[in-house]
Amino acid sequence: MLSLFEFFSRSKKLRAAGVLGMNARNYNVISKNNRRNLYPLVDDKVKTKTLANSIDINTPKMIGVIEHQYEVGDFMKIVANHAEFVVKPAHGSQGKGVLVIKNYADNVFTTASGKKLGFKEVYQHISNILSGLYSLGGQYDVALIEELVHFSDAFQNFSYQGIPDVRVIVYKGYPAMAMMRLATKESEGRANLHQGAVGVGLDMRTGRAINAVSHNMPIGIHPDTNADLMTLQVPFWREHLLIGAQAYEMTGLGYLGADIVLDKNRGPMMLELNARPGLAIQIANGKGLRNSLKKIDKRYPRGLSAQERVDYVLNNG
Amino acid sequence: MKQFFTIRHILCLFLLAAVIFAGVATYYKIEYWGFSFKPHERTDVWTVDAHISFEPTGEPIEVSLSTPRIGDEYKILSEDAVAAGYEVEKDDKNHRMIMKSKALKEKQDVYYRIMLYDNEDTIGKVRDHKKPKVQEITYVDEQEKVMVKELWKLADKVEGSSSAEKIIKLLNQEVPEPEVDSFLPVHKNQKIMAEKIIYLLAAKKIPARIVRGVKLGEKRRAVPADLMLEVYEGSKWMIYNINTGTVGLPKDFVVFQRGGVSLLDVAGGTHSQVRFSVIKSVVSSFKMAGRRAKYENSHLFDYTIYNLPMHEQNTLKWLMIFPLGILLVVLMRNVIGISTMGTFTPMLVAMSLVKTGFFPGLICFGLIILLGLLIRTWLTKLNLLLVPRISAVVIFVILIMQILTIIGYQFDFKIAASAVFFPIIITAWIIERACITWEEEGAKNATKQIITTSIVAVVTYMVISSDYIRHIMFAFNEWNFVILIIVMLLGTYTGYRLTELKRFAPLMKDK
Repeated sequence: MLSLFEFFSRSKKLRAAGVLGMNARNYNVISKNNRRNLYPLVDDKVKTKTLANSIDINTPKMIGVIEHQYEVGDFMKIVANHAEFVVKPAHGSQGKGVLVIKNYADNVFTTASGKKLGFKEVYQHISNILSGLYSLGGQYDVALIEELVHFSDAFQNFSYQGIPDVRVIVYKGYPAMAMMRLATKESEGRANLHQGAVGVGLDMRTGRAINAVSHNMPIGIHPDTNADLMTLQVPFWREHLLIGAQAYEMTGLGYLGADIVLDKNRGPMMLELNARPGLAIQIANGKGLRNSLKKIDKRYPRGLSAQERVDYVLNNG
Repeated sequence: MKQFFTIRHILCLFLLAAVIFAGVATYYKIEYWGFSFKPHERTDVWTVDAHISFEPTGEPIEVSLSTPRIGDEYKILSEDAVAAGYEVEKDDKNHRMIMKSKALKEKQDVYYRIMLYDNEDTIGKVRDHKKPKVQEITYVDEQEKVMVKELWKLADKVEGSSSAEKIIKLLNQEVPEPEVDSFLPVHKNQKIMAEKIIYLLAAKKIPARIVRGVKLGEKRRAVPADLMLEVYEGSKWMIYNINTGTVGLPKDFVVFQRGGVSLLDVAGGTHSQVRFSVIKSVVSSFKMAGRRAKYENSHLFDYTIYNLPMHEQNTLKWLMIFPLGILLVVLMRNVIGISTMGTFTPMLVAMSLVKTGFFPGLICFGLIILLGLLIRTWLTKLNLLLVPRISAVVIFVILIMQILTIIGYQFDFKIAASAVFFPIIITAWIIERACITWEEEGAKNATKQIITTSIVAVVTYMVISSDYIRHIMFAFNEWNFVILIIVMLLGTYTGYRLTELKRFAPLMKDK
């Protein structure tokens, strides 16, 4: 059993490292920077997408939305001209309920993992989404059908199935910390660190890997593809940061996490935003978030545009 | 300088105020209402009836009875007089109950009733410590003077720690000395004995007085007042048993009268006598608290939960333990950092365990969850929509509970019979969540979640199953204010959670 003394001495060490704890994040950061009424903007992916598109932020194109049970029958009409697409719950989190269809032909849907589904099964999946199976708190949800992202060749060897994405923490409009999340066999194509995905901390100026972890422990190579993680370099780094910075003006949230994917043809795209981004990014980066937030609070200038803020980070971060 | 009055400062002030309030209220309840920290506290309550009877002489009647004092050996729960047609009056200064009436003809019976309970703090201590006057002894003749001297000579040979003890023992010897025999009258009673002892003590200039009262005991009916002797030694009155010389007030003796004043005065009546009856009853401390408050004219008690009907009290007793359970949940989540299935689920399961008993409850609950999971896995194949599916699970849980209860009753399985105490909806949600976690994050994560939830429930159970803690939370419910403020203060806790120390261990830096 941990003694009280040890608790305090370890807490002190974490504080020295500038680690942001869950309680401090909720109390000092989220409750002070994120107004509750702004949450629906990011919790509903359809709203986020519409809002992003209105200020010319790139997102995967929306194919259609199914809001009610009786509309499920229209699904075939909606996807008629699409051979590949993604079905996801608008209020989902952590990749729950996301169905990736790699190929659709002759009424057979082939998923990312190669499983073949019939219409009935896809229909059932959409019904589950609508009844709120995957949504936060279990309330009724809508199903969003959007274009499949073709992730850039730059990450070809870094991810085992799934789509690698970049998570940028944006504090008061300034990108504060970033990591890349790479799916593994264990995470079953999902990009969540607690499910076994690899987290790679990224340098804020260059987008180069500085540290990598799997299950909280530092690693050097991808466990499934054996790619050297330290050679990872995110192309279009400025554009990635810019999407994050623009999300601040777009939502008004002082503390947010932007998930960005890099499409082969269309460049960096905003996948979703999060008003309560997790703290695992600190482990991936091997450093605490508190110091970065403090620096932004104390030294970074106010009143700059998104472009200017990104430039400031690229030059001073 | 930072903001002076932060939320935390204000809450700390509130906490201080709440602690002071709870402390004062607790003190008040213990001191004035007799509440105790111990559960199931019961107090012996003695009802003493003084039955006064006399024959009127045809003049206006005034009966005056000496009564026990408040704050003496016993505390008074209630006292009143039963005397139809009499004007009853309490003389608090002299501690007498006075009953007046116009002239009457027939034989009169009036009653004085007092309810007493132990006041263990003051037992054996006599408060009146003023030095009394010694009455000058007047000997009948020279012969008696010699006899007294002889008696004291004999008394000095008797074992005893004081003159009073020696002389009492001398006079009560089984085979009396010839001197004692000739000193005492042939027909002796308690009163004569007491008077003789006082007389002998006066010869040595030791003040002494008679004490009248009632020995408390079961089945004492219509007995005359018991006598004891009080002797002034050193600087205080010591009380002696007239027959044995034992010093100290017995635990079961209630003093009605002491010294020169009479026990009973009846003006306008003859052949007066007083007989005492004693009844013992055992009363719960909550019930007694109400009577005490009434006696002391405190209306505060009427507005407490202890004045409610028993059924409501039991419900509230159950509710009063919730704040403590909630505090535990907050500690587990925000300070330790354990995540469970549903915020208050472990607490509700723990509450059920209190009702069912630990092992039977745990086994039964495990059985319900297991059966529920099997059924839920089968439901998965049917591809039902969310709300109908969870509803089906709820109904299945109810059916499982029914079957277990019937089996438990028929075969006298205590374990199965406890099924009915578990919250149905909560149980159904545990099954549903476990199943979804199983499908999405694997069996390992699902089992892990069930186990952590159970551990938190068991820990909560450990705390709230204690009779002491439940009693204290009910009897001293003002501490719930303190818990409330602590919970609010924890809402401003921004330190690390215990589990985060491990989670972020790779980031730790030595200074």
